[in-house]
Parts: sequence; C-alpha cells; structure tokens
Amino acid sequence: MRERLARYIAEALLDPSARTENGIAADEDLLGSGLLDSLGVMSLVFFIEQEVGMDIPAEDVTIENFQTLDAIEAYLARRQAPE
Amino acid sequence: MPSLLPQTVDRAAARTPLHEAVRCDGRALTYSELAERSGRLAATLAAQGVRRGDRVGIHAGKGLAATVAMYGIMKAGAAYVPLDPSSPPARQALVLRDCGIRHLVSEPARHRALTELLQEGVPVESVVGTDGELSDGVRACSWNDVASHPVAVVDPGLTEADLAYVLYTSGSTGTPKGVMHSHRSALAFARAAAETYGFTRDDRLSNHAPLHFDLSTLDYFCAALVGATTVVIPDAHTRVPASLAALIEAERLTVLYTVPLALTHLVLHGAIDKRDLGPLRWVLFGGEPFPRKYLRALMSALPGARFSNVYGPTEVNGVTYYVLPHDLSESDEPIPIGLPYPGVDIVIVGEDGEPVADGEPGELLVRTPTMMLGYWGRHDLDARAFETRRLGHDSDVFVRTGDLVRRRADGLLVFLGRKDRQVKIRGYRIELDEVETALLAHEAVETAAAFALPCAEGSWRMEAAVTLRAPGVVGPDELRAHLTRRLPRYAVPDRLVVLHQMPRTATGKIDRQQLIQQAEHPAGIQADA
Repeated sequence: MRERLARYIAEALLDPSARTENGIAADEDLLGSGLLDSLGVMSLVFFIEQEVGMDIPAEDVTIENFQTLDAIEAYLARRQAPE
Repeated sequence: MPSLLPQTVDRAAARTPLHEAVRCDGRALTYSELAERSGRLAATLAAQGVRRGDRVGIHAGKGLAATVAMYGIMKAGAAYVPLDPSSPPARQALVLRDCGIRHLVSEPARHRALTELLQEGVPVESVVGTDGELSDGVRACSWNDVASHPVAVVDPGLTEADLAYVLYTSGSTGTPKGVMHSHRSALAFARAAAETYGFTRDDRLSNHAPLHFDLSTLDYFCAALVGATTVVIPDAHTRVPASLAALIEAERLTVLYTVPLALTHLVLHGAIDKRDLGPLRWVLFGGEPFPRKYLRALMSALPGARFSNVYGPTEVNGVTYYVLPHDLSESDEPIPIGLPYPGVDIVIVGEDGEPVADGEPGELLVRTPTMMLGYWGRHDLDARAFETRRLGHDSDVFVRTGDLVRRRADGLLVFLGRKDRQVKIRGYRIELDEVETALLAHEAVETAAAFALPCAEGSWRMEAAVTLRAPGVVGPDELRAHLTRRLPRYAVPDRLVVLHQMPRTATGKIDRQQLIQQAEHPAGIQADA
C-alpha cells in the first residue's frame, strides 16, 4: 500500500519539479511542507477510498492521520483491525 | 491615538501586558513580550545599518518569529516585505532586487532555503534570525543575539505617511510589482474594519492567509489596534479542513477571515457538525466570489455567526463590505460586495471616463484613506492607477481598481470581473499575461495562451495551451517544471496542453473563447502530447 500511495502522490499530485529520484520518504511531511495542497489532500483521500474500498469519514482526515505515509498506513491498519 | 502601526502594540502592552498578542501551534507571545522583542529586533536592525525608509525582507513562515519581524522592522523605521516561502528562489530574488532589500529577518528552520536564496546573486548584506554561517560577505546574527541585544529606544522619526510595508503581486509584464502602504493607510483600514465588526480585546482573530497576501493585514493590524489576539493557523491546518475545524474549536476563535474556497472545504469536509464553534461570531471572506450554495450551507452550520463579504484590491485595502442577511435567498445572483466603508468615495465610470448611468456596468474608482502610496519604483504604473477627479467644488486622487462593478437598484455594488486579464484563483491574483510570458521564455515554445475557466465548487482553474517550434521537442511535464522555477505555485496552470495549431479569431488573435470551450469539452482537443 505504501508504494502505491507514494507512486500516486508522486505521479498525480506533485509538481514535476518536486519529484525526486528517491521518491517520498515514509516519514516525510506531506502537509506542512506544502507537498500537498488542500485539493491534493482531497484527491489522496478519494484515491485511498477507491484502493482500499472503505469510506474515510471527514473527521478522520486530520493532520495526525495524513501527515506522512507512515501515519496513513497506521490509520488504515487501525481501521482494518478487527474490533 | 496611535499614528504608527507598532504604537498599537506598545499601547496594548502598556494597557494589558499579559494579554496574548499572537499564538501559533500552542506557543504564544503576550503584548509585553511582543513589544519587548520587536524593540530588541529594531535595535539589532539599526545596529546592522537599517534606516528610515529601508525595506527589510521577512524570510520566515507565518508564526511568532514573523510577527516579531513585522513590528521590529517597522520600529526600526523600515518597511517590511514578506517573501512568499512557496515561490522559487529565483522569484524571491526578483523581489529582493526590485525592492533594493539589503537586510532580511529569517528563522533557523529556513536556513537551507536562505542559503539557496543567497546563491541567486541578491544585494543582501545581513540576515537577522539565522543560526550558522552564510555565504561570504553576508553578516548573520541569531535570535539569541537579538534577545541579548541591549534595549535601546530606536526613534527613526517616522510619520504616518512613512512606508510601512510592501506587498508584491503579479505584474502583467512578467515582473511582480510592489504595492506600497503607509502607516496611515494600514491604520485607516484597521480602524474601519475594527469599528464595522465591533472587535474588542476579547476577540481571537485567525490568521489563515500568508503574510504576502493582503488578507493578513486585517488579522494582525485590527487585533493590535484593539488589543485582541491573533491566532496563526499553521500551513498544515490550511490544507486539512477537519484539523482546521478542530483548531477553530480548540482556540475558541471568534473571527475567521479567509478565501471562499477554504470555507467551502471547511463546510464540505471539515465535519464541523461534530465541533462546538459557538464562539465564532464573524466569518469574513474575500478574494473571489463565494458560491451561494456553499455559503448557505456554512451559514446554517454556524447559526451564531455573522458573515461579511469584503472587497478591495491590495492597492486600496478593504473598501466595501456586505454583511449578509440571516436568511440567504435561493437566487443564483452573486453575493454583492456591498457598500463602501465610511470615508470611502466611489465612482463607476465607463470607457469614456465619465460616470455611468445607475445600474450600468463600469470600472470602479475609489478615493479612500486606505489607498496605497503607489507601486515601488514604477511611476509608469502609478500614472495609470491614480486619477485626479473633480469632487464637488474640489478635486482629489482616486485609484482605478480595474474591476468592473454594477450598482443594483437597492444601492449595493456587485462585482462583475476584471477589466484586464487578471484572474483570482483561490484568492491569489494571477496575471494571465505573466503566465504566458513565462511559457514563452522556454525556447521550444512558439505561442502560448493561458485562460481561466470555472470549475466545481465555484472556484476557477487556470489552464494553458502552447504550440511548439518543432513537434515533440518538449512535453507538458517539462513545461510545468519550467514554470515552477519561475512562478509561484498558484500561478502554474492546473493543466497544460500542447497543440498542433493555436485557434485564431478572424483578426488573427489567439481565440481564447475557443480554447476555453475546448477545455470544457476535452474531446475536441487536438493534442499531440
């Protein structure tokens, strides 16, 4: 999942000039650094919903859950874990 | 009564020293701390050679350090010039050279960006607020040095007519232009807004906009004028609506001022029904039209708040406003920009320069105590922007806004669009000509056309089409990268297509209407990329 997210962000959301050979690090700040703007965040959420086949409620789209690839993965793992 | 912006901070520090002046990310400065730190910064800058009338760049993201920088620079007698942190170093360098900026105030977190900027061959002699060495010949001093600098009262002998700040906006020739404001024009605006909305020291005003964006002046200057608190919204929160809603609740904001698109995202994706935003009493918006359906949704989600549409190009600060009625009608008419603030004169003129008949569209000219001093170093632009007109038995200077408006039968003004080719996207002013100039700077580009078209959520997006000197020598990605090095991020087109041939009108001009139609119905595009 992390690779698919990283590829989607790099190919669909980033400015070409912001792409690097090393891609996006797991702990790289996607929000504060300006890698993603507000429309980019919306697109990313939509992409994840399609990929994972689950709804992400608006109140879950927070800085804590979406700041880094690590954070997104942890959030999805919590959502998918049995209650 | 204060006649200079920093005096408002010092007055609040004398009256309510322990009241918070500014907050960001859980940290705060009281008025006493802000007054003291900006005083030490002023003394440090003076020791570095800053004098009355100099321009000093702010190379820092919005936050506590940037707030100290604004007031410290003005206390030293200079004007602050915020650099856009998201724009490429080459463009920031353009601003430094244009404005003759020899001193910067920065912060350690931006050391790498600072080093890149200094490599652009800029006239900078000293940087205050950075740790570590800088390139040869540039003096550096840290915030610790500022804190230990002896407090010395700097009296540069300013009057209210002195330059207070310069904000750079898009220019049609590809060069950004600096809009100069005095202490008088800034304070006149702060007073008009504070009175209109009844701000008091108990208010907590958001700062959503970056400092180089003129919305930020209300957030800071109104707050200091009445001794209220400015709460800086960190950049990450501006991109994540649910976190913005959480911050508005946690910080008990009473005044929120931003662009309509941010508010649309807040109501659609902010989960605000799960938040207690009761303290919010004013929502101010401006910069572009707010679609009624989203405004209506926001108003019903925030029944305790009042809403105001504020209007005014950077050149004149805010000049008109419209406080919305509690029940917004179902029509699709644009929200009016309302009536002028007290003390503002307006006239709507036609192509012949004469006032139009009531209800007819025309360009809005304003005479206001909030108007700019002019454009930095651009008397040619001043000559076009200022116009002396008869007024009763006298005459006075008006500013041509370049905006087309119409007066409704009920007297309220309605904004119709730009007279020239400037568009506002997400609140940012973009000169389409500047985008085209930047595209044409690429050696492979033969012709270029940038155009704006409406998109979902009532905002606009910008697209561009180019033809090439030889087929296939460059693709859209490389052109985007080329633009990203020259323009701020918001001025890079959302979509870029390479065409075999540019559509032309009968007179041989680029047919922009056809480009817009093609972009709205992409099947018709004959792209070869």
